[in-house]
Amino acid sequence: MREFTLRLLQLDRRFIFVLMSVATVLPLLYPLGLPVRISPETQQLYDTLERLPERSVVLLSLDYDPASKPELHPMTVSLLRHAFARNLRVVALTLWPTGTSMAESAVTRGAAEAGKTDGTDYVFLGYGPGEANAIISLGQSLAAAFPADYAGRKTEGLPVLAGVHSLRDIDYALSLSAGFPGLDTWYVYGKEKYGFELGGGCTAVSAPKFYPLLQTGQITGLLGGLRGAAEYETLLNQTGKATAGMDAQSATHFLIIGLIVICNVCYLLSGRKA
Amino acid sequence: MRFWQQTLPLLITFVFGLALVLQYYVPHPASEHFLQEISLWSQIIAGFAIVLGVGSLLSTHYQKITRQEAGWGYSAVLFVSLLTVFGAGLWAEGKAEGTFFGWLYDYVLVALQGTMFSLLAFFVASAAYRAFRARTPEATILLSAAVLVMAGRVPLGESLLPGVGTLADWIMTVPNTAAQRGILIGVSLGAIATSIKIIFGIERAYLGGGDGA
Repeated sequence: MREFTLRLLQLDRRFIFVLMSVATVLPLLYPLGLPVRISPETQQLYDTLERLPERSVVLLSLDYDPASKPELHPMTVSLLRHAFARNLRVVALTLWPTGTSMAESAVTRGAAEAGKTDGTDYVFLGYGPGEANAIISLGQSLAAAFPADYAGRKTEGLPVLAGVHSLRDIDYALSLSAGFPGLDTWYVYGKEKYGFELGGGCTAVSAPKFYPLLQTGQITGLLGGLRGAAEYETLLNQTGKATAGMDAQSATHFLIIGLIVICNVCYLLSGRKA
Repeated sequence: MRFWQQTLPLLITFVFGLALVLQYYVPHPASEHFLQEISLWSQIIAGFAIVLGVGSLLSTHYQKITRQEAGWGYSAVLFVSLLTVFGAGLWAEGKAEGTFFGWLYDYVLVALQGTMFSLLAFFVASAAYRAFRARTPEATILLSAAVLVMAGRVPLGESLLPGVGTLADWIMTVPNTAAQRGILIGVSLGAIATSIKIIFGIERAYLGGGDGA
């Protein structure tokens, strides 16, 4: 028995990789469609967008690159749908150079789906270089930070930016972040100084560090990882990629839990020698 | 020589460091204008830093190729990739829609970065199996918390184990928040202390030369 447990503890990693592949692929092919419970932080973000009067200005900073696309892109899609459905003005940008093309494509598609007009209902400013400096610069003057938008038009005089001179004129800013610069950069260099409402989304692995800011009200609403995106899709009554991915995430989480249980049982049975 | 290499950088750091700290507390238009100018300058300097970084990267890998050091083939791949993407970007004037630059982005960069990130799931599963063991009481607490949060954050866990979602939420909002807040306060105090040391020239590692004090 002890020999068997020791052998099990030294299981070939390729076996685990195969199990992981099966646990990911099978639920995607045969979804269970289990209901997703809405967490208070997701509800808070949804409610904040719901409370904004029509034509309020929402700044969407898409601070991620293709590596985090599966987790953060569904959030972008849902937030754009919600903002456009509420007839809010959307000002989008990115602080990540490798995210520019992806962000532009998401905003353009979202706007086309909702029948919105570029320059009147939304604008994509493009990549803001300088990380925190881009935020400070936007806080001082939007026209100085972005004299032209991604399409090359002068930002000064664009109908979508009417009355928006700096971050102080933003009603709600949202950063979907995969790291630095991201939500915490927006908090430290933007919200704290220019006093706008801030919320956002992040990868599941970085969600725990935002809970202190959530609890004190320093950020309003948070979407944590694929789960947060799935919750938002549920709130919008729209099934998207996040909801589809939740079954795969359920299966992989339970596979890892199973592996942890097996390895600890074997560890105890082997006399804690392994 | 010492003036240009040490005294002047220290003086610039001291003056601008102190000025920007004070600026935060002075809402006068002149002070705000100063911040605007500084942030634009910083963005311009960051642009030049990219040129410097790319130059340094190319120089390092060029040397690896010419000396045929171990793994020089990877350096050649880097050269070819960088020049191809740079050339495609210039040709397309930075626009992705319907260009070769966009094609490279969609079908090379997105796929490569997605693959790299996806590999994490496999390594996490393998590492959890090999390393996540209840060796000590502290490790057992950590392990139990991890299992509860993993189960409570997915619909399957909430369906199979009623209440586990609420328990996972409690772990995230109470013990996690307390620990994160402690880390946040510690990191912030550390950042303030380091900033003061840099502004007053006590910490000089950024000047290079390996002399940190």
